[in-house]
Amino acid sequence: MSQVKTMKHTGAQRKRRLKNTGNFLLNIPILLIILVPLIYTLSISLVDTDQVYKTLLLPHSIQFNNYVNAFTNPSYNFSRYILNSFIVSTSVMLCQMVTCSMAAFAFVFLEFKGKNILFMAVLATMMVPGEATIIANYLTVAGWGWTNSLHVLIVPYMTSAMGIFLLRQNYMTFPRELKEASTIDGCSNWRFLLQIAVPLSRPALGALGAYVFLNTWNQYMWPLLTTDSDTFRTVQVGISMLYDIDAQSMGLMMAGVIIVIVPSLSIFVFMNKQLINGLMAGAVKG
Amino acid sequence: MVKNPAKPKPMRIKRTPYERIEPYLFLLPALVIFAVFLYYPFARTIYLSTWVTDALGRPKKFVGLDNYTIRLFGKADFWASIVSTLKFVGVVALGGLLIGLITSLLTYNRYFGSGFCAAVYAMPVAIASAAASMAFRMIYHPTGGLLNNLFGTQINFLGGPNQFWAVAAVTIWLQSGINFIFISAGLKSVPAELYESCDIDGANYWQKLFHITFPTISPTLFFQIIINIINAFQSFSQVKLLTNESPNSSTNLIVYAIWHDAFRAQRFETAAARSVVLFLMILVITIIQFSFEKRSVNY
Repeated sequence: MSQVKTMKHTGAQRKRRLKNTGNFLLNIPILLIILVPLIYTLSISLVDTDQVYKTLLLPHSIQFNNYVNAFTNPSYNFSRYILNSFIVSTSVMLCQMVTCSMAAFAFVFLEFKGKNILFMAVLATMMVPGEATIIANYLTVAGWGWTNSLHVLIVPYMTSAMGIFLLRQNYMTFPRELKEASTIDGCSNWRFLLQIAVPLSRPALGALGAYVFLNTWNQYMWPLLTTDSDTFRTVQVGISMLYDIDAQSMGLMMAGVIIVIVPSLSIFVFMNKQLINGLMAGAVKG
Repeated sequence: MVKNPAKPKPMRIKRTPYERIEPYLFLLPALVIFAVFLYYPFARTIYLSTWVTDALGRPKKFVGLDNYTIRLFGKADFWASIVSTLKFVGVVALGGLLIGLITSLLTYNRYFGSGFCAAVYAMPVAIASAAASMAFRMIYHPTGGLLNNLFGTQINFLGGPNQFWAVAAVTIWLQSGINFIFISAGLKSVPAELYESCDIDGANYWQKLFHITFPTISPTLFFQIIINIINAFQSFSQVKLLTNESPNSSTNLIVYAIWHDAFRAQRFETAAARSVVLFLMILVITIIQFSFEKRSVNY
């Protein structure tokens, strides 16, 4: 009897497994397009120097010299770049959480003259691509003597229309009575924001945080314009300064790419939901 | 029966001076940053574009629209750059859309491994264009790169007419994640009943795709094309890093040209004028998007 049961199962199972496998196989071409560049980069960063130009995809031999070099050779200041990028990205993220929470709070819960015009003014900033104002911004900060510092990388990005918009949408889902009741209970606006609105917006703040940290970590053009000393260099500019003249520097360059991609991918893996929510909100801006 | 107590008149509370300015205090940090790093540079860009500047970007002589008419529109390389940018934007927008559409259709149904595929397809959103460009420099390497090793060739992918396609391919690769995420979300919002009624009529996969899926998600696809266009217009690091700061006319895209004007040629005035052109081109795209969205919600 048990035999009959098994046979029946295998028939249906095999059909399903076949369909499963077929479905998966269809994915292979594009999976390769996305994954091969990353696997190849990792391989090149690990192979012996004489294998760099011969490696097809997977490494024949493995050595970690490039990573050791990136962190210990004084001419490549990778630890410094990582520290800089980490400070800048964290600061931008925290500042945006504060400024955007405050502004969104005012737009949702407070009544004041010029509210609509100011909100339009915030939304209008989404229509101006950053690259269109980057030259004038550079002239401004250069005029202040701000170039070659960490604050020049932080201050211009301390707020964003996308963050204000994201948190505003979030606050609008709060029941109206919540604010009214707390006002009657004598809760000040600041206390409401800190003790009620912020704790209730943790998912939205997480989305904003993941998105902003990643964007800042991945930033290239602004740090390129405003910093040219090794002390204030960020990771993306740092790896792009490496030369690809010979096999040895190629290996180091690929190790650099892996080193700066690991934090980005960690956010992608461990904060996937928040990141994608942030991206969805951010794409309104494009 | 108890009489209802009279409804209290809504009290007109006189607000203290502090209460009147409080809302603006909440807005102050954001508005100051916007004023200094968005509105002001925007105005300054327009202003600078009407002057001749020195090598430090200081305005020296008012020239009206000469920077546009003579130094940009009168030059063949400006038009070459605009044409290349438009071609690039078109290729990236459609290429990104196509790969996003294929990947989201492939992972629409759940099967063993579909979650893994979906994660991989979304992954490029996390990767910086600068880092990806450095990796692709090795992949495209003319003598020992992955592509040439695979095909046993010695093609110079980063020179001549190949350069355009090499840069576009990296940009599509970078954009594929966001395309997958949005189109996937669009596909999941198609009501299942639509497909069920088709199944009853015996429609096959392709019929369902062309008669149900595409019409239903067309607003998503349109929106995604707009996002691709706006992002492609802003491409910079892949141009600078893949071409090693020497793009030919097919890859001299507008943001690279802005950077080159200002930081290699020390011509801040044409950089400013070009920035205004970039702004106007993106403005046109945004207006098209808004007018379309308005139309699509007016049933």
